[in-house]
Amino acid sequence: MLDRGSIAAVALVAAMIASICGAHAFDESKYPDWSGQWTRPRGLATQWDQAKPAGLGQQAPLIPEYQKRLEDSIADQAAGGQGLDTRYKCMTNGMPRVMAAIFPLEFVILPNMTYVNFEAFMPRRIYTDGRDFPTDEEPSFMGYSIGKWLDTDNDGRYDTLEVETRDFKGPRTVEFSGIPLHDDNETVVKERIFLDPANPEVMHNVITIIDHAFTRPWTVDKRYRRIHKIIWFEDNCNENNHHIVIGDQNYFVSGDGYLMPTRKNQAPPDLRYFKNADGK
Amino acid sequence: MRKRYATAAVIGVAAALLTISGAAAFDESKYPDWGGQWKRPRGVGTQWDQTRPSGLGQQAPLTLEYQAILETSIKDQATGGQGTDGHVTCLTNGMPRIMTATFPIEFVVLPAVTYVHFEAFMPRRIYTDGRPFPTAEEPSYLGYSIGKWLDTDNDGRFDTLEVETRNFKGPRTYENSGLLLHRDNQSILKERVFLDKANPDLLHDEITVIDHALTRPWTVDKTYRRDRNVLWVEDNCSENNNHVVVGKENYFLSADGFLMPTKMDQPPPDLRYFKPVQK
Repeated sequence: MLDRGSIAAVALVAAMIASICGAHAFDESKYPDWSGQWTRPRGLATQWDQAKPAGLGQQAPLIPEYQKRLEDSIADQAAGGQGLDTRYKCMTNGMPRVMAAIFPLEFVILPNMTYVNFEAFMPRRIYTDGRDFPTDEEPSFMGYSIGKWLDTDNDGRYDTLEVETRDFKGPRTVEFSGIPLHDDNETVVKERIFLDPANPEVMHNVITIIDHAFTRPWTVDKRYRRIHKIIWFEDNCNENNHHIVIGDQNYFVSGDGYLMPTRKNQAPPDLRYFKNADGK
Repeated sequence: MRKRYATAAVIGVAAALLTISGAAAFDESKYPDWGGQWKRPRGVGTQWDQTRPSGLGQQAPLTLEYQAILETSIKDQATGGQGTDGHVTCLTNGMPRIMTATFPIEFVVLPAVTYVHFEAFMPRRIYTDGRPFPTAEEPSYLGYSIGKWLDTDNDGRFDTLEVETRNFKGPRTYENSGLLLHRDNQSILKERVFLDKANPDLLHDEITVIDHALTRPWTVDKTYRRDRNVLWVEDNCSENNNHVVVGKENYFLSADGFLMPTKMDQPPPDLRYFKPVQK
């Protein structure tokens, strides 16, 4: 499915330059202390703009076509469906939603790279080695992230990581209500990540989404609080996922192991490929 | 399900002393260069012992009970089932199977922790800060790994990472044949990870499994080849997974979107929770 070899060959020159974990000296004192585990502020759910309620309350600047999609998604969820939210299938949230920190995040800073580690997904890699966006990278839900460190207060230590992320695939949503990003996947996500000047236990991620589903760039200030007592859990989404998708229908597996409907009067799956297809 | 806060309180004091990515100086010249992307040797599948064929060919030193489980698993797979292989539902492989490097892996070496990054799963953390095993950590498929750096040739630079991993949950298998670890999940895994002396682009992970499903410790030498042309691909197992499990039965989704059997004469799922279809 993925032509890893051929893509790797084209990326050879750029990759040769980038030594992610080489033997260079690493002066950590030049970088901010983002150690620990970062979680959502207490009392906040996983809505995109933390200052507003989810769904229509987000007041996302959607164009009419995508506003309609959001409204349909919310109506479908109210009827027992999943709307546009694909996470129930254990699909990765992708960018930018993955930065909602549903479960805690970790930042690992190296000179050429900042990793964002999650409990459920492969890490996000933010390249800070000066590379350009690749021209033939396989699109992904995470996208391709290039960052640049800034010393905004000129104290000799970086304090802000500016990141731009492109090269997506979809579908992606910004939250569980199904606020959609455009089908063309030409999203550009810009972030400024920095510690709160008044409280180093609070991190800001000011995220701007530029997307053809929006009438204008949409900026929110995501905040994370630091946990020093670090515990990591495995988030194996598939371990206890009772959602099943057959064709275009979502069903549920009951506690006693039987297929069951998720909506009133939902038809059972078509069993045409079984010899004894009456389900008895 | 998640005892995050209770558990956090128990180990709070120890954890507060640990700074994984703090502002301490990091002299990378003291550590080996494990940069790049590590892959299985060319031509080697995903069997556990790379020098032997999978399944019965592994000659795993299993107890009689677990040998029978393996044989049953292989028979089930031969008739269209999945045996004891849980990855069909996109469940994480867990340790030790995850170190097979089905897809490329990456080592990120820091003084207090070495990360092993995968394309499909959360990272594995090998703590090298001198901590003991926690007493109240939630068991996991990856287990809890504590490592120690060794300078075996006394040249002033670490060359070998010794790792011990405990505190598992299951079920876990070594490979797709369904070679199963004991259901008591008391496995202890010991690893020695080091570059080949003759070829620094070859990494060895000598893994010894101590497990009650085995009659003796089982050691294999997993090797990985380095690729410096680094390219990461998202492995979203759920994205195109056509396996569907209902109760104890595994079914498959056809390309045209219908449920289909995976075994000859497999009965369809019981639809007792649906209203009868009007014809």
